[in-house]
Order: sequence, then structure tokens, then C-alpha cells
Amino acid sequence: MNVFVANSIRFILFVLFQVLVLNNLEIGGGMYPMLYPLFILLLPFEMGTIPLMLIAFFFGLTIDAFSNTFGLHASSALVFAFFRPIIFKLFSPRDGYENIEVSSVYTMGFRWFLLTFGLLLSIHHIWFFIVEVFKINEIVLILRKLVLSLPVSFLLALLTQFIFFQKKKAER
Amino acid sequence: MRNLIAFFRRFQIFLVFAVLQVIALSTYMSYSEFARLQALTTTGAINGKLMAVRNDVTKHFNLENTNRDLAKENSWLRQRLKASNYQVQRDLITIDDTVFKQQYKYIPATVINSTYDKRNNYMTIDLGSIHGMKRGMGVISSKGVVGIIHTVGTRYSLVKTILSKNINIDVMLAKGGAFGLLKWDQESPRMVQVSGIPNDIRVKKWSRVVTRGGSGIFPRGYTVGHIANRKFIEGKPLWDIQVLVAEDFRTIQQVYVVKNLHLDEIEAMQNAIPLDKEENEF
Repeated sequence: MNVFVANSIRFILFVLFQVLVLNNLEIGGGMYPMLYPLFILLLPFEMGTIPLMLIAFFFGLTIDAFSNTFGLHASSALVFAFFRPIIFKLFSPRDGYENIEVSSVYTMGFRWFLLTFGLLLSIHHIWFFIVEVFKINEIVLILRKLVLSLPVSFLLALLTQFIFFQKKKAER
Repeated sequence: MRNLIAFFRRFQIFLVFAVLQVIALSTYMSYSEFARLQALTTTGAINGKLMAVRNDVTKHFNLENTNRDLAKENSWLRQRLKASNYQVQRDLITIDDTVFKQQYKYIPATVINSTYDKRNNYMTIDLGSIHGMKRGMGVISSKGVVGIIHTVGTRYSLVKTILSKNINIDVMLAKGGAFGLLKWDQESPRMVQVSGIPNDIRVKKWSRVVTRGGSGIFPRGYTVGHIANRKFIEGKPLWDIQVLVAEDFRTIQQVYVVKNLHLDEIEAMQNAIPLDKEENEF
């Protein structure tokens, strides 16, 4: 399938899942799982940082429009996109990223995925909750939200790939 | 020279990042002034439609509770009908309309989207400017006060609930009438705080907290909640009062928008008060 078409469909599906399912979970205790950063990670490897950031910005803005957060998701998605090339360079494998189009857990291995996506997701979540609460004397609240949400978001992202990306592995 | 170009390229990426970040953050930080950015909220045409469709599916999960609440309210209203009262003093004339004129009108609305665990919680209702909604109107439910309308779209409106940082609704104690301001500290969606009540006033546990009706947004004496706990604030002659909210925001379905028919008169009167530098945001 064409990369453009595949990512457009992914764009819509990730927005719908975040807005219609995850936004309505409201488990309590401040837990707020976010799956949509996975979309930015799955964008093509060779994409430049500026187009990447523009796509992430509009992606975040779309989610904002459905969850009444006025640019909070856009800001966080932008941070994720900005750090993606930096983190990728930091953890690049010995022979570089040649012949790899999409950075899923299957193409790159679990260790790499844990390090890069884990780190990027942590940056994204920390930024999101700090900007959301925006009060230094509520640091406990920020930490609580972070500790509850981050593992759930990561496991959700892992699960999504195990469920939907298996076919690609069989093709290879 | 090559270094300079490389440096500029790196700088360019950061520049785009900074510009977009400033746009996003300034929108987020000052959304109360950007209330016209309707496309960015669920009051927008497409977004509102999607949320309405979602609500069509999920509203049935809560149908039993909603029905029970509405039936309870119906029975209460029925009790107040003239037909269900026995007239004791037969020879007196019934109440004339010139004595009691209607001041508040209530327009029923359905909640199609709402949150309760964010820093500021909003809900979307299915009434908009074509139904005569205006920014600043009060919203109540059959149990208690809900919030104030923040953004108005054509068919949908956004309500800032009392679970928000700077909601500052005028409230008073039902007994005694000491008044304070409603606040929320984001600890629990069931608890709000009342500040500004001096601690030499007696405050009874489980007594009712009601609206003061000062700004004409809510009718005077409408329930907000019950006092669950109170303690002294150290170093200040004030109570720290915890109020159990009457409405449960986790299952809210039906609300009423309060329309005050005397609002223009109240506003004209209060505009006559000389201004001081007090920020009034909701």
C-alpha cells in the first residue's frame, strides 16, 4: 500500500481511537492513557524534521478539537516530533537505519523500541502533564498522573503493534 | 562557511519548532480570550456532530439512572402543582399574576460530552446560538449547580463546569447566609471548596450550600452541595470548607440552561458601580 494512503488511514484511526475510546475511559486517579504518539513514531524514517513537526502539529490540533484542550495535545505532539530524530540518532544501530522504512517493534527489535519509544513517550507525557497542570506546588499531582498514565500508554502502543502489525512480519 | 550553513539548518528546525510551540501554548494558556476559536472545540460543526453521534450510543448505558432522577424531579414538581394542593382558605382570591412574575426560564439540554478529571472540566451541550444561548448563562441540573456557558456555537455550546480552577461562583450558606466563593482544587470530582467565610461564623456539618444569585446567573438559593468537612486555615481568620457536590459529574446526562429575564437590568445596575482592577474570568 502507498505510504501516503497508509498514513492517512492511520491518522484517522488514531484520532478516532483516542477521542472516542481513550478520552472516555476516565478510570480515575488522574490516569489518562495516550496512544496517538505512536502515529508520529510510525511516520516514514526518511521524513525531514520540519514536515514531521508540521504533521504532528496538525495531528495534535485535530485531537485538541475533539477533547476541548485548546492546543495542549498539539504542543505535546510537536515536542514528540522535535525529539524523534534526536533520539533516533542517539540509539542508531551499528549499521545505521538502511533499508528500514517504518520503525515498528518488529523491524527494530524490542530493545530498541523500549529505549526510543519509551524515552520519547516519557518526554511527551512529562511535557503534557506539566503544561496541563502548570503549577509547581502541584508537583505530586503531576507525578501521580505521570506514573499512572505512562506505563499504560506504553503497553497500549506495544499491544497495538502486536495486534495490527503481525501481517507485515509474515510478508517479509 | 559549511559550518555556518549547517548551524543555520539546525537553527531553522528549532525556529519552526519554537513558532509552532508558541502558537499552541498561547492558544492553550489564554483560551478564555480565544473563545472565538470555535473550530478548536467540540462546538464546531463536524466535531459537535461526531460527539452527538457518540452520545447517541453511550447515553443508553446510563438510562436507568437518568430515568430515576427525572421521575424523582417530576414527582417533586407535581407536588407543587395547584391541582395537587388542597385549598384551605376558600374565600380568598388565588394568587394574582401581578405579584409573582417569572424571572428565570429553564431550557432543557442534553450533555453530549463531558470530562471530570482534567484541570478545567468542560461539557458540550446540544443548545447553541440558534436556541438563544449566550456566553455567561448559568447551567444547572435537577440536583444542583453545574456551571457556566463558556463558548457558544451555532448548535452546540461549551459549559465550564464548577470543576474548574477559576470558576468563582457566588455561594452562601443556606442557614445564616454567610457568603463566599466556590473553588476547586482538583482533588476529587465530588468535592469543591468554599473560600472567604470568616471562622467566627458557625458552620454546621452537612448543612446546605446554595447559590447567592448575586450576578443573576443562577436563581438565589439553588443547591450547590452539602458541607462535608471544615477546618481552620492556619494564620487566617477563615474557614476551609469542603463541599460534597450535589451533582455527580461522572454520570451527568440532562441539564437546564438558566435564562434570567432581568439580566439586562441587573447588568445595567452593576455597571453603574465604579470599576476597580478586579479580574473577572470564567
